Order: sequence, then C-alpha cells, then structure tokens
Amino acid sequence: MGDGVPVLQAEKLSKWYGNILGISDVSLEISGGIQGLLGPNGAGKSTFLKLASGQLKPSLGRLRIFGEEVFANPRLFARIGFCPEYDSFYAEMSGRQFIAFLAKLHGFSGAALQEKVAVSLQTVGLEERQESLIKTYSFGMRQRLRLAASILHEPELLMLDEPLRGVDPLWRIRIIKLIKDMARSGRTVIVSSHILPEIEAMTSDIILIHQGKIFAEGDIHYIRGLIDGHPHQIYIKCAAPRQLAEKMIGQEYVSGVVVDAAGGVTVSTSQRDRFYEALLHTIVERSLEVEEITSPDDNLQAIFDYLIGR
Amino acid sequence: MSARTASKEIFRVFWRLGWRAKRTRVFALLCLVPTAVLTAIKIVEVANPHFGTTAFDVFLRTMMAFYFQLFVPILAIFFGSSVINEELDNKTLVYLTTTPVPKIAIFLGKFMAHWLLCAVIIGGSLGLSFIIANFSALGTAAAWLDLAGYVGISWLALWSYCALFALLGTFMRKSILLGLFFAFGWEAVVQYFPGSTQKFTLIHYIKSLLPIQPADGGFLVFRLEPSSVAESLLMLLFIGALALVAAALIFKRKEYIISDSV
Repeated sequence: MGDGVPVLQAEKLSKWYGNILGISDVSLEISGGIQGLLGPNGAGKSTFLKLASGQLKPSLGRLRIFGEEVFANPRLFARIGFCPEYDSFYAEMSGRQFIAFLAKLHGFSGAALQEKVAVSLQTVGLEERQESLIKTYSFGMRQRLRLAASILHEPELLMLDEPLRGVDPLWRIRIIKLIKDMARSGRTVIVSSHILPEIEAMTSDIILIHQGKIFAEGDIHYIRGLIDGHPHQIYIKCAAPRQLAEKMIGQEYVSGVVVDAAGGVTVSTSQRDRFYEALLHTIVERSLEVEEITSPDDNLQAIFDYLIGR
Repeated sequence: MSARTASKEIFRVFWRLGWRAKRTRVFALLCLVPTAVLTAIKIVEVANPHFGTTAFDVFLRTMMAFYFQLFVPILAIFFGSSVINEELDNKTLVYLTTTPVPKIAIFLGKFMAHWLLCAVIIGGSLGLSFIIANFSALGTAAAWLDLAGYVGISWLALWSYCALFALLGTFMRKSILLGLFFAFGWEAVVQYFPGSTQKFTLIHYIKSLLPIQPADGGFLVFRLEPSSVAESLLMLLFIGALALVAAALIFKRKEYIISDSV
C-alpha cells in the first residue's frame, strides 16, 4: 500500500480451539509480493489464514488488513480474495452458476459480470466445462474452481490455502505463473503449503510456521541452507544389503549405515543429492535388485524437528 | 451491492438449490400423503352417499393434526435449522462470508428461501387437500376464505417455527435433536396443561387460530383454552421476528470453526 500501512499486520496474535493451540503470539507484517507460509500439517497455517480471512476471531492480539480489523468486517472482502483448503461446493450448481453467484455478491452485474465470470473461468481452464455440475468435476478441477472464485474480483490481497493440492503438473505450472503474474501486477499474495518446493517455485520470501508459532521468516535460501544440512535417512531394501552397505561405508557423504535382518539398509547422509547419484551408480555397477527406496524423514515435519533441535 | 440486493440474490440461489435437493422432494411427497388419503375418501364418499363420514369431516378432524402438529414442525426443524448448519456441514459458509455482503443479509436471504420452500410444500398440499375434501362447496366465497385462512395459518406457523429452529441452528451443530425435543416433547405435552402454561408453546397460538373450538372435542383441542385471534397472530409474528433478529445477530458475531484441521 502506498500510504505506508502494511497490507497485513498481526500483533501478538493467538488462537486456541478450547485447550488446543492454533497459533500463538504471532507478530508479522506483510506488504506486497508473494509470501509463502510454510509448515507441516497442523502447524497453524490454516488457522492463520482463517483468522486473516475473517472466519475466526483472534483469542488474543490483533490482526489488521489494510489497516482494518478483519472479523465481522465484510466491506474488506471487496479487496480480499480467499481460496480455502476445503474441497466443498454447492454440488448442484454448475461451475458457471457458482462463479456468477459469487460475482453478483461482489457487486458485479450486466456485462461486467459476464466478463468477470468468463475471464476467471478461462484463467483456470474451466470454460469448456463451465455448464457441467460441480459434482461431476475432478478434484483438480474443483481446486481450480476455488481459485477462480478467489480471483474473480481482482483482489488486492489474495490468500491461497494449499492451492496446488490435487492439481495436475501442467496446471501446477500455470497456477504458479498466475500467482507470480498477480504479484507482478502489484497485488499481495499469501500462499500456504507444507511442500517446500511448491513454495520455492513461487517465492523466496517465506514464513516458517511450526506448532502455532513463527519459527523463522525471511529469504528461502537461508532456510534452504539450514535444511540442506539436515542429515537425511534413506532406506533401501535390496537383495544384497551387505554388499550395498559395504560400498557406502567410508564415503565422505555418508554418516551412518545400519543393516537390518529384513534385507534393508538405512543410510544417513547430509548430502542427499551426492548420495543418490552414488547409489544409482552402485545399483547399476553391481546389478543390485532393489525393491524399495524410501526416505522416512523426507518431510517437512522431520526437517522442522531437526531445525528446532529435537 | 446493497445488502438488500445481496439478500435477494442469496434468496434466489437458495430457492433454486432448495428445489434441487433430495430432501425437498421427499418432504413434498410426504406432505401429499394426506391429500392422497382424502382423495380416496372423497371417491368413496361420492360413490356411496350413505358413507359414514365425509372427506371434509376427515380433513377437519384429523388432517389438521397432520399438517399443524406433524408436517409444519418437521419441515421447520429441517429447513429452519439447516439455514446455517447446512453451510457448516458442507463447509460452504466460507464462500458466502468472504464476500462483501453483511452476514445478516446472508442469513435473511437464505432463511426466506427456506421458509418459502416450506410454505409452498405445506400450503400446496393443505390447499389441495381442502379443495378435494370440500369440492362441492367451492362455489361459495366462504369456502375460499376458509382455504385462505388455513393456508395463511400454516404459513404463519412455519414462520415462527422456522425462525425458532433457525435460531437454534446458529449456535448449535446438532440443533435438529433439540428441535425434535421441542416440537414433539415440550409442545406435545405443555399444550395440554391447563391455565396459561399452554401459552408457552407455539402450537397453542396456532390452535387458537384454527376454526375448531373446545366444544368440538376434536383431537387438537383437548383442554385448549384459546387465546384471542389478535393475540395469537401477534404472538406468532412476534416470536418469529424475535427469533429471527436474535439468529441474525448471533450469526453476525459468532465464529464458526469449520475444519477439523488446525
């Protein structure tokens, strides 16, 4: 915003669901660009977005958007777009009826309404299926319809809760581009996800949220650095586990090797990319029959646990 | 967009969606059962002029109980409490509350759509039943006035019950259970209490408006000590309006926790 008021400002914001913590003591300011809200499932991302979209009332603290309190302030929603995480719709409506209904509630009528509906459906690639009932849509199509509903009134602040969930790879790329285009046109976009590469593809400004608290915020490269130092565990089940273990022991990028009775090898490494390269080479070289390769801690929860020193 | 225009749009959409819902069709069919029964009785009556009773007599003595003590409260419970609860159960409330429309306008628009759905279902069936049962007297103005009276009372009854159950739905997720207890527990028992205690039920005022008095000794009028027509009309209107205002204000200020994930 040009007048120096942050787009979104949270001050010591807390939310409890009875005795269960949603978020605690969150203070932050967001002004322009794309802000990634990253955290494992249950971290408090959705709670934060529900507070920011006026669905929940803060238990403590304040949350202002464009300088105004959000809860019970419908006027603000002429400037805000929100794409919820739930896969919920008025199933007996067609995609077009749904978007047109919301466009009317946003105050559009006549030719402007027709244009907004057409543009938003076209943006998410649903123009051909617009007359079909929503209940006949695939999950990915419903996700895109939710996105269309959130952008139809060209909001200044767009909040997207897990917008890429269930979307096919092609549309994933298109939605990322759309989000970037919106930011380029001067809008503020807040995107939540529990998948780091998704956020990385959109922005370098991230907020790490964990157990209801802001754990870190800033440039993604700093966070990436922390994460890359995380010793990953990789489990390989193969016909010759001892042969594989023998090859791995002593490599500089391997910090531990454990062979179990079930024919599995668990390797600890802090250089995942180098390890995978070497593993592939070993498999080919020794013609190993591999049944399974999994990374038990290759998820954000494990990374957060590592970062907070558990 | 003004709150009034938004409310009208919400009314229009939920009126249309209401007719597409399976629940509406089931209730509409259920409400046509008495009409079918009366049609059968009327056919017997016409075929056999010495038949012991008339279709209109059956209409007055039993069908009123069906309509006013069964169908009206049941439809009001399901349609009234679902004004908000349906949005919570289907997780669709977020789409309405993240538009620049005041929450009161959202509530009123959807309430009116649900009330009118009930009014058309009950009014249609009641009117049809009356016409079939009283077919031979339809040439008189009095018959049409009676018909308008019955349908009008059913709409007023729906107004007060729907508003009351919509109020319950704004602050209780399982409001249908409490609604059933109120309609078929409290109302069913307290209406027969002597003195002014029966005035703590809606059915007391509804019965006071119906053209059946204690002397008739009908099913509906056991120990009824009727209030005046003016008092009954005012009370039903007032209770409905009060419940509606309270529901709208609660909906405006209350937060609804929809998802189980935090």
